[in-house]
Amino acid sequence: MMKEAFKLKAADLAKEIKEGSLKGEDLFLDFKERAKQIDSSLHSFVEIYDEPQSTKGDSSLKGIPIAIKDNICIRGKRITCGSKILDSHISVYDATVVKRLKEAGLLILGTTNMDEFAFGSSTENSCYGPTRNPWNLERVPGGSSGGSTAAVAARLIPFALGSDTGGSIRQPASFCGVVGFKPTYGRVSRFGLVAFGSSLDQIGPITTNFVDCAHLLNIICGFDKLDSTSAKLEVCDFTKALVDQIKDIKIGLPLEYFKEGLDEEVKDAVEKAAKLLEKKGAKILDISLPHTEYAVATYYIIACSEASSNLQRYDGVKYGLRAKADNLIDSYKKTRRDGFGEEAKRRIFLGTHSLSSGYYDAYYLRALKVRTLIKNDFQEAFEKVDVILTPSSPTSAFKIGEKADDPLSMYLSDIYTISVNLAGLPAVSFPCGFTKDNLPIGVQLIGRPFDEETLIRAGFTYQNLTDYCKQLPKIAYA
Amino acid sequence: MPEELETIIGLEVHVQLATKSKAFCSCPTNFESLPNTNICPICCGYPGVLPVFNRKALELGLRVCLALGCKINGRIYFERKNYFYPDLPKNYQISQYKVPLGEGGCITLSTGRKIGIERAHLEEDAGKLIHKEDCSLVDFNRTGIPLLEIVSKPDINSADEAFRYLKLLKLTLQYLGVSSCDMEKGYLRCDANISLKEKRAKELGTKVELKNMNSFHGVKDALESESRRQRISLEKGERILQETRLWDETKKQTFIMRTKEEAHDYRYFPEPDLVDFVIEEPMIEEQRSFISELPAVKEARFKKEYMLRENGLTEKEIDILISHKWLADFFELSVKELGDSKNIANWILGPFLELTNSLDKGFEQVKITPANFSKIVKYFLEGRLNNLGAKKVLVNVLTNNEDIDKVIEKEKLTQVSKEEGLMPFVEQTISENPKPVSDYLGGKQSAIMFLVGCVMRKSRGKANPKVVKEMLEKRIKVKGGKI
Repeated sequence: MMKEAFKLKAADLAKEIKEGSLKGEDLFLDFKERAKQIDSSLHSFVEIYDEPQSTKGDSSLKGIPIAIKDNICIRGKRITCGSKILDSHISVYDATVVKRLKEAGLLILGTTNMDEFAFGSSTENSCYGPTRNPWNLERVPGGSSGGSTAAVAARLIPFALGSDTGGSIRQPASFCGVVGFKPTYGRVSRFGLVAFGSSLDQIGPITTNFVDCAHLLNIICGFDKLDSTSAKLEVCDFTKALVDQIKDIKIGLPLEYFKEGLDEEVKDAVEKAAKLLEKKGAKILDISLPHTEYAVATYYIIACSEASSNLQRYDGVKYGLRAKADNLIDSYKKTRRDGFGEEAKRRIFLGTHSLSSGYYDAYYLRALKVRTLIKNDFQEAFEKVDVILTPSSPTSAFKIGEKADDPLSMYLSDIYTISVNLAGLPAVSFPCGFTKDNLPIGVQLIGRPFDEETLIRAGFTYQNLTDYCKQLPKIAYA
Repeated sequence: MPEELETIIGLEVHVQLATKSKAFCSCPTNFESLPNTNICPICCGYPGVLPVFNRKALELGLRVCLALGCKINGRIYFERKNYFYPDLPKNYQISQYKVPLGEGGCITLSTGRKIGIERAHLEEDAGKLIHKEDCSLVDFNRTGIPLLEIVSKPDINSADEAFRYLKLLKLTLQYLGVSSCDMEKGYLRCDANISLKEKRAKELGTKVELKNMNSFHGVKDALESESRRQRISLEKGERILQETRLWDETKKQTFIMRTKEEAHDYRYFPEPDLVDFVIEEPMIEEQRSFISELPAVKEARFKKEYMLRENGLTEKEIDILISHKWLADFFELSVKELGDSKNIANWILGPFLELTNSLDKGFEQVKITPANFSKIVKYFLEGRLNNLGAKKVLVNVLTNNEDIDKVIEKEKLTQVSKEEGLMPFVEQTISENPKPVSDYLGGKQSAIMFLVGCVMRKSRGKANPKVVKEMLEKRIKVKGGKI
């Protein structure tokens, strides 16, 4: 590998490729070797490809390898969603984002590990076993996009795609010390993303810095006629938001996000980040998002209801796992019993119950109403401020197995991220410090609908003031 | 003695809307394709796919709702109906539940009875299961084809009335051009709800749902059979259980499929992959412009204009004429040209239908204009063409609308009525057929027709048979049979 190329920004590598001093195919092979070597202890990849699928397209990121969370379809490749039930299902089509990456000349290196169907916050719920945090192999990388964030943090890949239903990009990004961006709902086509909670899911980039984030957003964002929920909006050039200037920006700190349950070290780091932005000219204001306490309950009802319906298609009739049985009903039962893991079953039960006649009004319908209240909270807040700053997760990365038997405490790991999905807003988590145990801490910025630019601008400015994103875990040098 | 029992019937009709592509993907909808060839990852529910709603399906559904006088819900959305079945690839059906496309409205039967429409909503069709001895096969070609479900109010009081309702609804849908309604191909399907109650009772009795009827006659038979079964039970003092029963066409009986306890909880909830659709006034107006005179109105008008008068059409003739909008229009346009409804009707219901029935695509292939058609009838009435000649012209121009006069010229079909032209044929015929001639003289009237036929053949069909007959009669009498 070109001397320590893995330390460089993707955008800089792409420049070298454009200038001819570096070849994309060579870079692919270098990262492939690197990933194969280091990933044995991380287990962030499900599959590493021998060759890039396509090398034809062009863009500002031409020739750069990328990893894809294993719930996004790549034509002709295995898609697992971390679940036994998909068995070795081969995708027969490209997700819209994959099509765009190929057209932009990016080279897909492989697929990354995840909680089964994105159900989880630790990447422990994968049928392929857990992914480890590159900063401490005893710890989880967060989830569900933990494979993607771990691979990026260890620089096994310049960047990756993840998906975020309740924090699945941002929480693992904070645990792994990388930049995890969830765009506004409707900004990125969901076509080809295996659905978890359809009204919440959104694909987003996981990068080491905001420059690469902006470049990657340029490629994946935009209207897609194959996704009825995608927004018919012109997409601007996000790299234009890479401006080191935040003087006019008002930042809100929601009271409810700094209460009990928040780890002191995390709290300090996040408040320090706010102070630093204030020093640079931003105005810090206290705000309130009064319905925050209902977010977790609301989220789990809506997300699980949608998931229970979305997962019905895995029945052994058309593709994936099919258990042998004497009759149809038994085949359904056995296929789904053998194919789904514990957490998937738990969420199917939860969702099925919430939608059942007699319970629908009390659970699903009420959750929809609270969702509107949460949305209104943000709307009101954004009349006063331009962005909202919060911790990404109450703690830094926890130990593998620590919360495996306590789903509720696991769910609370997403307490600061899930409201954003309920409201459909853009948000980003980026590193803002380390704990005394040298685990990364993440700070979250939340923006107005379709105002990704302000988040990029604030994040870019912050990263120019600090060097957290330049710090690499030891394993990166292995 | 128990009070007189009354039958209460409500019908659920599913009609496939004639869109070129499916409701939520771009797969074609043609019926003839081999199994599992009109399919894609979207209609097969592959991981990661999303539906995109076909606006055409909404337009056709809207047209039906407007024609039935439904109130249109201005903002519609879809819901998921969840249940496991192998012909449903996603194990949920995209349908409408709380807010249907249209509500209210009615259909007025020719008996004057109004049958209310409860609701009409859009949904996607399921696939087809083919059961073999040792396995079941699934064909997903039909999966995702747009359906309109039209639910009647429980206003129907007999199997016969149900039959009338279905016939009129089908004809209405055909007039609207939204579906061919071919039941054999499954383009139109019907389930029924039936209960009995004492005539004066306000509350409805326990209803039973009937499925698996494959024709309108099947629906009628099933309703009669089920009505009988319920009547016998009630008269014995038994209770009717809420259940779903399947009609067995060969045994002419219904059989239990599932009880109320086994009924599905469909767990409807709004389809998150689709967005709300606002139906704007211009769209409504556009669809309204496609609605012309509907069959019930047309029938009444035809009766008034063409039946109730001297030499008018019969009820049966009107029934056939209005059984197809194209035919009714063709009839009226031709009448407008010629002004003689009886003769136009005779020629349409006779030679014209005989010819079009033998065409693969029926009326679709017909190219002759009403003006040219009525010209043929006119030539016939004037005697310029005899029956055979007129038919020959019709055959020649039916599918190409060639100039009639040119065809007559080319085929030399002008009827010969002039006696001098026909005389040689008459003479020949009399000398060649002494037996029939003497038979005729002997009083056997029918023998003359044989001789007319001979002359017609000699003239290659061009002779005017009326003139020929007169000539023969005169000639034979003059000669007194002597040759």
